[in-house]
Amino acid sequence: MFTLQTWIVQALFIFLTTESIGELIVPCAHIHPESSVIQLGSNFTAVCVLKEKCMDDYHVTANDIFWKTSRVTVPYKQYTVINRTASSVTFPNISLINALLTCNIRMFGQINRSVYGIRIISGFPPEKPKNLSCIVNEGKKMMCQWDPGRETHLETNYTLKSEWATEKFDDCKAKRDTPTSCTVDYPPVYFVNIEVWVEAENALGKVASDHINFDPIDKVKLNPPHILSVNNSKELSSILKLTWTDSRFKSFITLKYDIQYRTKDASTWNQVPPEDTSSTRSSFTVQDLKPFTEYVFRIRCMKEDGKGFWSDWSEEASGITYEDRPSKAPSFWYKIEPSHAHGTRSVQLKWKTLPPFEANGKILDYEVTLTRWKSHSQNYTVTDTKLTVNVTNDRYIATLTARNLVGKSDASVLTIPAWDFQGNLVESKCYLITVTPVYADGPGSPEHIKAYLKQAAPSKGPTVRTKKVGKNEAVLEWDQLPVDVQNGFIRNYTIFYRTVIGNETAVNVDSSHTEYTLSSLTSDTLYMVRMAAYTDEGGKDGPEFTFTTPKFAQGEIEAIVVPVCLAFLLTTLLGVLFCFNKRDLIKKHIWPNVPDPSKSHIAQWSPHTPPRHFNSKDQMYPDGNFTDVSVVEIEANDKKPFPEDLKSLDLFKKEKVNTEGHSSGIGGSSCMSSSRPSISSSDENESAQNTSSTVQYSTVVHSGYRHQVPSVQVFSRSESTQPLLDSEERPEDLQLVDNVDGSDGILPRQRYFKQNCSQHETSPDISHFERSQQVSSVNEEDFVRLKQQQISDHISQPYGSGKMKMFQEVPAVDAFGPGIEGQVERFETVGMEAAVDEGMPKSYLPQTVRRGGYMPQ
Amino acid sequence: MKVLAAGVVPLLLVLHWRHGAGSPLPITPVNATCATRHPCPSNLMNQIRNQLGQLNSSANSLFILYYTAQGEPFPNNLDKLCSPNVTDFPPFHANGTEKARLVELYRIIAYLGASLGNITRDQKVLNPYAHGLHSKLNSTADVLRGLLSNVLCRLCSKYHVSHVDVTYGPDTSGKDVFQKKKLGCQLLGKYKQVIAVLAQAF
Repeated sequence: MFTLQTWIVQALFIFLTTESIGELIVPCAHIHPESSVIQLGSNFTAVCVLKEKCMDDYHVTANDIFWKTSRVTVPYKQYTVINRTASSVTFPNISLINALLTCNIRMFGQINRSVYGIRIISGFPPEKPKNLSCIVNEGKKMMCQWDPGRETHLETNYTLKSEWATEKFDDCKAKRDTPTSCTVDYPPVYFVNIEVWVEAENALGKVASDHINFDPIDKVKLNPPHILSVNNSKELSSILKLTWTDSRFKSFITLKYDIQYRTKDASTWNQVPPEDTSSTRSSFTVQDLKPFTEYVFRIRCMKEDGKGFWSDWSEEASGITYEDRPSKAPSFWYKIEPSHAHGTRSVQLKWKTLPPFEANGKILDYEVTLTRWKSHSQNYTVTDTKLTVNVTNDRYIATLTARNLVGKSDASVLTIPAWDFQGNLVESKCYLITVTPVYADGPGSPEHIKAYLKQAAPSKGPTVRTKKVGKNEAVLEWDQLPVDVQNGFIRNYTIFYRTVIGNETAVNVDSSHTEYTLSSLTSDTLYMVRMAAYTDEGGKDGPEFTFTTPKFAQGEIEAIVVPVCLAFLLTTLLGVLFCFNKRDLIKKHIWPNVPDPSKSHIAQWSPHTPPRHFNSKDQMYPDGNFTDVSVVEIEANDKKPFPEDLKSLDLFKKEKVNTEGHSSGIGGSSCMSSSRPSISSSDENESAQNTSSTVQYSTVVHSGYRHQVPSVQVFSRSESTQPLLDSEERPEDLQLVDNVDGSDGILPRQRYFKQNCSQHETSPDISHFERSQQVSSVNEEDFVRLKQQQISDHISQPYGSGKMKMFQEVPAVDAFGPGIEGQVERFETVGMEAAVDEGMPKSYLPQTVRRGGYMPQ
Repeated sequence: MKVLAAGVVPLLLVLHWRHGAGSPLPITPVNATCATRHPCPSNLMNQIRNQLGQLNSSANSLFILYYTAQGEPFPNNLDKLCSPNVTDFPPFHANGTEKARLVELYRIIAYLGASLGNITRDQKVLNPYAHGLHSKLNSTADVLRGLLSNVLCRLCSKYHVSHVDVTYGPDTSGKDVFQKKKLGCQLLGKYKQVIAVLAQAF
């Protein structure tokens, strides 16, 4: 079509540009490009090339070319003269256009002439078709549809292509009026996967959609079932059975159904639960329907697996459920007609027909029964809705039932009162009068009112009592008077109350209340109260009631006692806390510790007792409690240089670090003797001088810990004498202890150490051996020093054990393990002794002192 | 290769559907590789079973429709005229391997397709107004065509069988009217019988 237009335009210009009739038709110029389909938004350039003959004939060049689009001259700024014969025009960002572009020349005399023309059309290449989907209507051929995307503004062809895995089908070309769908020519073949896609093509391009692959059976839309019948059941009035014929597909695929129903007059559909109709079937019984009601049904079906489409709804079919006995008795009432006959009266009974949902069928007749008091009953069968009978003035009971094909309804009962009813009204009696309106379609809602023929004062007064009695108030309560004693409408109550000696006070209370609070009462006082009820005709007092107000209000005593108790408790608690904080001071002044000489021990001493134990002591007694410490006072020469001591202290620290956690016999032991070797190695001479310059005591410990025999006896040197007791208590000594670690320039005169070995360190030798092996970081030099220490000890302490000898015989280098073992054993001896002390009463004496007193070294 | 397959496979199918094919061809499966236009679906065997079920569900009605449309003496002499005595019908062994059963199924479907083509051609001449029969024959032929495609897809994709030699029934073009009707009735009787076996076997 577009091509045809282009040719027509070109032919037109050919004719226009012919110079004479009969001469060969030759255009005066031509335009490039001949094809003029332009993509929207792009730039377009056309070039007009004049032919030499025209240029000569009309004396024009490219400068004389101008362009027109649909008779509108294109601005000159868009022109470009390429050479003498060619001129171009450029359209930037071309918009939607479908116009004639002509190349014109301006000849001599300002005569304009079109020499060539093309039609330019703009548009878009086709977009990739999306949302391709297919449907196979039962009995018809497959139809596919898609979303073509944006409008191309060009002639675009859509072709649906399809193939099996083994075969290709003919293309399906979409019609111009339905470019978004196509119905294939071949019949659908189910259970064979088919692959389908769409190709879109126009002058600017060609694009194909995504391929979809499916089994046509999964795209099928079945024909709707045809409902054959809707049948009711005489046995069950609440069911209807629906039967239908299905699609022929049910012979080879499983179907599921969707059944809806409604009453004939309803607009909304009820749904049969889908799970009840999820398999192929040809009938279904709908339950829980109303009797004798017309229902309308419709049904649709699809593949059971949900693939595909629901069929259209079937044509609607209706059926009526079977009758059931009337579910409700008809309402009825009476009307007494005045009668002139004596002793009889005419009563008209009227009722209304039951609505269909209560009649549950066609009402055949009504059965009326009239029963006089203690007499035979009379039965009437009526097809009408009223019945007039002559009855006596007695009281009657009338019953009414409705009957249909299935049975009778329950009976409505109505009492027809006796004729003398109106003469029995008495005074001072409360009557409930009910008026029921009767409309054409039945009785309305009744209205009630209480009334007295004549009121009187109550025959009895209300009985008042207390509900709650407070210091200054009392809550009174009472019961409403029974109707029988009211004798009228109770308008108000009056409460009278007084003390024994006071005046009576009266308070009026509304009749709707049943309790009242008396206020401003006096505490601890006897009150007498009574109450009267009043009608319009007078009042009546009730019995008198007495009560006594309490002296104290509730909670008043508690409010006094509780704060006092709390204050007392708080004071006590503060006193206890104060005593606890100052317990040392109190203890010193009230029950100071008095040493028991019988439990004294001589503190372990050796000439090389290190001052570094203070460090351990600090760790053991961080709270400064030195009750269990042993004190060895050594007169140290202040003028002595201390570097060696400090070195040994550092070494001790190293050993401590190296053996920490191993309970080693050297540094890891918490026993004070463990540090002894390092001291002896570094300060041997000094210790000798100290020994000679101080009074020393020593003992050989014989006792073990818990029946363990110590393997070696250790000399313990101590300066501890009774006067030392004072030194332990002196705070300045404690201060010195603290300064050991912190100050290098001060060496304490008094040195404290605790010999406190744990139970673990008193274990057998073999365990010490194992532990000593772990102390592999101890270097040989240290060991040599240890050995020297032992030797010096041995020389200075001639009471060494056999094991000590064996240790001395072991070469220093080879016997690291055994040497350590012997060393540990010695230290453990001291430790064991200290452990014994743990169980002893605390004293100010050195604890590593053998029982029995002090012994000079 | 795909282009080649696209050309060869339809050619094979077209050859199979030719009417009045001659004597049985030797069964010499070719082990050449084969390809399909697009991958076969994973539920191919299930589809084959459904197709056989679909054919089985309509086979009896087709048979009835056929002999009814032929008129007397066919409806009252089915035992004599429509007994399934087709001597050259391809065999089927239900206890064979899947591949063997598929190959045999392929031969049977090819045989039935060709025979059904002959019957359809004859009936359009002999009973031009039996549109119901024509429609039923055409729809059955379509299902057979789809079944053949599925079987070929299965043989090709799983067993790499690209070619199966097939046999065809006798050409009825030269027979007289009664013989055409009788052969058609016998064939449809055989079809009804064998399709039930095939539906059970897969």
